[in-house]
Amino acid sequence: MPEEQNDTMASPKLAKYRFYLRQRPALLVALSILAVVFFLAVTGLSRAYYRQREFLGDRWSARGYADLKANNYDAAVTDFRTALLYSRDDYFYQLNLAEALIGLSRTGEASAYLLNLWDREPENGVVNLELARIARQQGRTDQAIRYYHGAVYAAWQRGEESQRREARFELVDLLLQNKDQGDAEAELIALAANANDDPALQKRIGDLFMRAGDYEHALAAYRTALRTNQHDEKAMAGAGNAAFQLQRYLLAQHYLKSAGVADSTDLHSAQLLQTTESVLRMDPFRPQISSADRSKIVMDAFSAAGHRLSSCPLPKNVTAGSVGSPPSLSDEWNTLKPRINPLGLRRNPDLADSAMDLVFRIEHQTSLVCGTPTGTDLALLLIAKLHEGS
Amino acid sequence: MDLQSNPETEVLVENGQQNAASAWIQEHSPRALLRSAFREDRFFLVLSVFIGIFSGLSVVCFRFAIDWSRLYLLGTGAVLTPVRMLLAPSIAGLVIALLVIHFFPTTRGSGVNQTKAALYIFNGNIPIRTAIGKFITSALAIGSGHSLGPEDPSLQIGACLASMLGRKMRLSRDRMRLIAPVGAAAGLAAAFNAPISAVLFVIEEVIGRWSAGILGSVVLSAISSVVVMRWFLGSESLFRIPSVQLKNPTELIAYAVLGVIGGLASVVFAAGITTLRPKCKGLPLWTQYLQPAIAGLLIGVIAMLGAPQVMGAGYEYMDQAMHGQFTWQFLAILAGAKIVATLLSFVSGTPGGMFAPTLFIGAMLGASVGGVQHVFFPHLTGSAGTYALVGMGVLFAGFLRAPMTSVFMVLEVSGNYSIIVPVIIANTFAYVISRALQPIAIFDLLTRQDGLELPSMEELREEDVLRVEDAMQPVEGPVLDSEKTLDQAMVQLDGAGSDDLLVRMSPSGWNSVSKKELHTLANDGKGASKLGSLLPIRQVPFLHPDHPLEIALRYVDRWPIVPVVSRADFRQLEGVVSQRTVLERYREFGEG
Repeated sequence: MPEEQNDTMASPKLAKYRFYLRQRPALLVALSILAVVFFLAVTGLSRAYYRQREFLGDRWSARGYADLKANNYDAAVTDFRTALLYSRDDYFYQLNLAEALIGLSRTGEASAYLLNLWDREPENGVVNLELARIARQQGRTDQAIRYYHGAVYAAWQRGEESQRREARFELVDLLLQNKDQGDAEAELIALAANANDDPALQKRIGDLFMRAGDYEHALAAYRTALRTNQHDEKAMAGAGNAAFQLQRYLLAQHYLKSAGVADSTDLHSAQLLQTTESVLRMDPFRPQISSADRSKIVMDAFSAAGHRLSSCPLPKNVTAGSVGSPPSLSDEWNTLKPRINPLGLRRNPDLADSAMDLVFRIEHQTSLVCGTPTGTDLALLLIAKLHEGS
Repeated sequence: MDLQSNPETEVLVENGQQNAASAWIQEHSPRALLRSAFREDRFFLVLSVFIGIFSGLSVVCFRFAIDWSRLYLLGTGAVLTPVRMLLAPSIAGLVIALLVIHFFPTTRGSGVNQTKAALYIFNGNIPIRTAIGKFITSALAIGSGHSLGPEDPSLQIGACLASMLGRKMRLSRDRMRLIAPVGAAAGLAAAFNAPISAVLFVIEEVIGRWSAGILGSVVLSAISSVVVMRWFLGSESLFRIPSVQLKNPTELIAYAVLGVIGGLASVVFAAGITTLRPKCKGLPLWTQYLQPAIAGLLIGVIAMLGAPQVMGAGYEYMDQAMHGQFTWQFLAILAGAKIVATLLSFVSGTPGGMFAPTLFIGAMLGASVGGVQHVFFPHLTGSAGTYALVGMGVLFAGFLRAPMTSVFMVLEVSGNYSIIVPVIIANTFAYVISRALQPIAIFDLLTRQDGLELPSMEELREEDVLRVEDAMQPVEGPVLDSEKTLDQAMVQLDGAGSDDLLVRMSPSGWNSVSKKELHTLANDGKGASKLGSLLPIRQVPFLHPDHPLEIALRYVDRWPIVPVVSRADFRQLEGVVSQRTVLERYREFGEG
């Protein structure tokens, strides 16, 4: 029996299958071809679409860059917002928009954009730095420190080393402001280790070491700066100040003198020099002075201490520190006064020590009560500190 | 005896093997394989992929068309000029009215209900003209600044394409009915870049129930359309916000408050639409030409008064709200202005979707509520972006009344799963409030206003289902054992009230026998025979108490009583159902 006849007789179901066999594969092939054609057409459309958007994005962002440069932040925000309409994910449009917003002090909006960028690229230096600045401005110190660290170890597109250094400078500044001397010092040491001999850089490092109270490293930084430019008055002033804090008065005198010569308007250095010279002049324990000179210095110091006592009367309970019914410093001074003369000092060499001990104690106590003294009294106080424990 | 040793059986075996071999060859012939490959259910799956591809490509073109019309009608800048603000939506409104009235009358509205109508009324048929009209008019409307979105039109375009393909492929009526939702899922998935939400939405709002037959096709089409869309438009999620860290569970109260406010806003929005829409439709025909233009003009006025953000779909402004770029006061104004603008656009009959405006209102409301809460409770850690995202879900749940979709939509459009707990809490509040204050969902109300009676998915979801246990009665009389003799069974008959008795078969199964049959067998002298051997081989089917009662209907007309047994032990009888008890239960249920 022929096949066709068989099929017809078999059932309408089989006929239906035959129909599908004839139709569906062919239709699927047609559909596939149609899909490919449609796909290619949409590809062409999409190219035109994206070209146009790219063009518009570039045009608006160029306006934005110009406005940003001209500090016209309001217009820059609009420009970059428009540019973002055409390229929503463009990293640099968003970053520039954030910077324009920061320029307008709209830090909340800026940080929202920056946080998005940070999510995309947590290792981006600019984003970390800007976020750190905003966090610092908003008093979120812990977050600021975290972002500063991010910026220090981040990838930077241009001038990686200098950008990292700047971020570290800001971090140190924040830490110092936050009275976190230990961490600040650690960052500064890392900063100094990676810094070149650029005098400006070394001076900045020196200044920060001074703020951190690390005078030894500060002196070293200023000295490095001076190696490149011996006549750098700021470095000399800084080195003089550091040496002064380190109680290396001769060295301080050297630097401060030079600083004064180089810049006569530097009053702070001049004042420090004056104090340094007073210290050097009024120190009775310095070597290579005659006994007559020493006696004179002791008498002058004793007299200055007496004046200090009278100008800054101590409370009655402030004594010499002995047990029982101790005499007051004033009583002690009055008791010792008749013996403090050239003859007495020559006859009894220990008397100079006793007198200076009393002078140091008077200066110390009066500084606690009346604040840091000036002039001779300050010099005596510094001499007291210099010989503490000796 | 060994079969092989018997010459007769040897021949039989040989013949049997030959038959089996030829059957195998027939089954695996190229023609049979081809036939099997193109069986309609399999072909439907393949077709779903094509539907997804075509829908994805169409949605990509639709997005381009919207952007281009925006570019040429409203200009390239983010700041719009007043002239364009007023003229673009007005003139576009006039053109749209002409197109809709004269060429594409089926393109009015969002498109969700039309897709449902195709499924339930028109056997899956949607004219391709609807897709063309929807494409042109919606792109023009959204691009010119009408407050509408591209998602629902994408859904309808997908459904139209699917319907056209189904017709060309000469699918059966059953398949044709299902094809529109398959295309709808593809269109929505591509528009939202959210395949899960699209599948859920189609299940929740169009089909109404989970069905294995359709789920595979819906998923396939949604995935393939999203793949195509991502190829052209990128795979980035619609919004990006930092992950949410809920430091203190009490913060959830803040999100619950947002849910309550969002629920109330949803009711206001829905009430506005359902009140104004019939009034606008009831106006004289000539006003239909002007309604979209007047709506466009008023939207332009709103934009000129300081809220240009309400124009168009507004996704870029949602993004800005999420990044804290507006004050909470302005966000609240934007939410209100958008409600008004969307009402104007929608009730004027301008084609376009409700999804984007709903999300916009939700985002603004959420960010605003978040802002207010931050003023009073500065310790709250949720950002503006978090509240805006939760707000989107809240409006979606409250206004569109698709609770599952609302949760997944937020997760998918943000790509942020850390937000799930606040979203669920807020959405639940919004949904419950919206349901309490407006019992009928917006899509159902719109359908009824159009004079159609489509099944309400919300009502379907919450419909009480009668179960076998509701009609089950205790067993009257003894339960006989098939291992016992007829005589022993006859003894048990004494005092049995019912005519029909159940027999517990061994080792399993149930049978039934009437008293009369037992007496007849006893009179035939079969008293010593086991009951099991005397009964017909065909056993009585059994049910479980949790079965839907409609299953019982299949059996109760053939067997006088049907046993209801425990799922743990099929021999343990829980009760019985009969035709009378089942029908009585249905009658009681129908009477409420």
